[in-house]
Amino acid sequence: MKFLTNSLAKKMWLTVTAAIIITILYSYFLSYLFYEKIYVENVRESLLTEGRSLSSEYKGGPLTEDLREKIDWYNSKAETEVFIVSNPRELSACLPFEIDYQTLIGEEEREELLKGSAVEKLGYEKRFDRKIMGVIIPLLDDNRLQGIIYLYVPLAKISEITQDFAYLWFAAALIFTVISIILGTMLVKKLTKPLLDMKDAADHVSKGYYDIHLNIDSKDEIGQLASAFNHMSSSIQKEDEKKKDFLANVSHELRTPISYVKGYSEALISEMAESEEDRQKYLQLIIRESKRMERLVGDLLDLSKLESDEYKLEKMPLPLGQLIEDAIEKYKPILREKNLDLQYRLDPEVIINGDEGRIEQIIQNIMDNSIRYTGEGRIRILLSQEKDKCVIEIEDTGIGISEEHLSKIKHRFYRVNKGRTRSDGGTGLGLAIAEKLVKLHQGELTVLSELNKGTTVKIVLPLFEIR
Amino acid sequence: MSKNKYWFFLLLIIAAILTSCSEKSQPAIPEDITFAATVNIKDMTISFVDLTKKELAAEWIMEKPYTGALIFPDNDSILLYGKQLETADQYSLKEGKLIDSWETGEGIVNGILLETNEIAFADQNLNKIRFFNLNGEEEKQVETERDPLTLLESSAEKKLFVLSFNHEKLGIIDLESKEKSGEFTIHPLAAGAWLNEKSGEIWIGGHGEGVEIEQNIHVYDTETGELKKRIQAPSMPINFLGQENHVYVLSHGSNMLYKINESGEEAATVSVAANPFEMAFANDMLLVAGYDSNDLHILEPKNLKTLKNIKVGEGPFKIVIRESVK
Repeated sequence: MKFLTNSLAKKMWLTVTAAIIITILYSYFLSYLFYEKIYVENVRESLLTEGRSLSSEYKGGPLTEDLREKIDWYNSKAETEVFIVSNPRELSACLPFEIDYQTLIGEEEREELLKGSAVEKLGYEKRFDRKIMGVIIPLLDDNRLQGIIYLYVPLAKISEITQDFAYLWFAAALIFTVISIILGTMLVKKLTKPLLDMKDAADHVSKGYYDIHLNIDSKDEIGQLASAFNHMSSSIQKEDEKKKDFLANVSHELRTPISYVKGYSEALISEMAESEEDRQKYLQLIIRESKRMERLVGDLLDLSKLESDEYKLEKMPLPLGQLIEDAIEKYKPILREKNLDLQYRLDPEVIINGDEGRIEQIIQNIMDNSIRYTGEGRIRILLSQEKDKCVIEIEDTGIGISEEHLSKIKHRFYRVNKGRTRSDGGTGLGLAIAEKLVKLHQGELTVLSELNKGTTVKIVLPLFEIR
Repeated sequence: MSKNKYWFFLLLIIAAILTSCSEKSQPAIPEDITFAATVNIKDMTISFVDLTKKELAAEWIMEKPYTGALIFPDNDSILLYGKQLETADQYSLKEGKLIDSWETGEGIVNGILLETNEIAFADQNLNKIRFFNLNGEEEKQVETERDPLTLLESSAEKKLFVLSFNHEKLGIIDLESKEKSGEFTIHPLAAGAWLNEKSGEIWIGGHGEGVEIEQNIHVYDTETGELKKRIQAPSMPINFLGQENHVYVLSHGSNMLYKINESGEEAATVSVAANPFEMAFANDMLLVAGYDSNDLHILEPKNLKTLKNIKVGEGPFKIVIRESVK
């Protein structure tokens, strides 16, 4: 039995075959029944008609010899057995006297006949010692039952006809069964082939080859499964590529500071620096690069934390205007140093439900970028309220980003100028982290920019709801 | 407690009403009418036909399958019996109520009121003739051949003739001693008889045996049991009434009524009703009940002309007559 049920194809085949056989058997019995019923009904109808037409010969009064002869003659010609009875004994006329005699008709039948209705018989009749289908037509003279005409057909004849029907049916059913099983098998194969293909593809994927694509055209559930599978494998492929890129980026980002540190420290050891000033400069460089590495590692750590599900914000109602003002306070010296103009207009009534440290980090990361890429001009910070949301806009007059890079600017380690080193001090993760944090606050971060004119970072956050 | 008592009494009253309902009372038959009552087998009713007005006066719907009845000399009691019934039930006609039940046991197929104001029952279960007084007390049982059916009293000779239905025997019971006094062999499936006391003849009809149908009246000598002659009366003559030198013979197989003189010559004949089993005389009227036609035919005895045909219950099987009391 296990042999039969260890594959879906076999199971489906079994189901289809069983369904076909059950259907055939069921329809056989049903149509046999109907056929017999219709046939018997037909016989009954014709017996009734025959009987009625024969009984119309009866004109009242006692049964005449002439009528008997007519019925006898008819009986000799017709296939139906017909006879006429007038013996009151046979007609149960003596019934209340309980005569010990097997009458042709019983009490209830006599009552029916007295009412003028024909009586039908179906089944075994002791009198004829066989199964019959018969009708009894009363010959009534007013309310006197003068006699009856009994017409019957042995049931054997009926079953002979149904037997012929059964043979024919059997042959047809056999051919039908064979054809439908063959067709069913083909259908099952067609249905299960994509599943087998998918299984092979999944095996392929599990071995690390993601470049698989299933060619299944059907639009049914299996087709949908196949397209989902294709989608999944391409997602895995993309994810795999991203992971590779990320590793490459990380190692690349780390290599630069490491090579700095390595080069300058070797220079120091081999006493290539001649003056104390040079040595100091080398050491400064080593420290700067180490700090950058520290920042990079810190950002990576942040990012990985943010991406894990366990990361929890410590949310509380925050006056956002105050928070931004505090955050930009510490940039004032550097702005002054770079000779950049800082303008801000903060709506003091904006309160959000957020994590103080994280919101500050968002502002910082964006401010860092703005300051980093703005040589001259100004930086403007706006905070306003729109319905149930607040909008922070940090606008600079920096170098801007061209449209082709704008869409990828939020990706980790994405650089507008690939050739540029990180001499500006950025880790390439700031915007990615900021966006992640905004999302964690159910907000949205968009970057608008025009090359050589400036960049605007727009953050939309939901306001704190007072219940 | 008082509430409980209240409910208890209410229940008692309801119970009393219900039990009074279950003892069903029938429509009363006034004492001043002369009627013929037919006991109808198929629908278990009794139809009372007012013979003066010649119309149906009342109908009793019964709960038991009665097959026969007797009117008592008091002209008020009607005793109803049936083969499948444990009791014979005595009803008062004027009250329309059951007044007594006689514990007869099953098997009573026929009963006649004798001149001695006793009742003779033919009991096919015990195969006995059982004599009861009018109080319902059984006085005597007399063994007969099996399946006694037709009973015929000879008032002159104080004898009771008993026809056995299935066993080709006629038994004679002496009514004074209530002992069997003789028997002789008759034709099979005999039913219905008439006693011609003047000529010492008993005319016996019947259904005929097996597929054969009785066509004749068999005339036997009451003393010797010798078959004296056969009189043609097709088919199945099963009921006889003698009056004024004539015998009225009812043949149910051909629905024929014959008026025959005592020597066996046909005086008149008529086709009547459908499958008639029973007839009776009342006030110079001949009544014939059609078992299949469910009617009572009133005929002129002289020329057998139908005077009236009255619908009764289904399957009238027995007719009893009651003259008006006043």
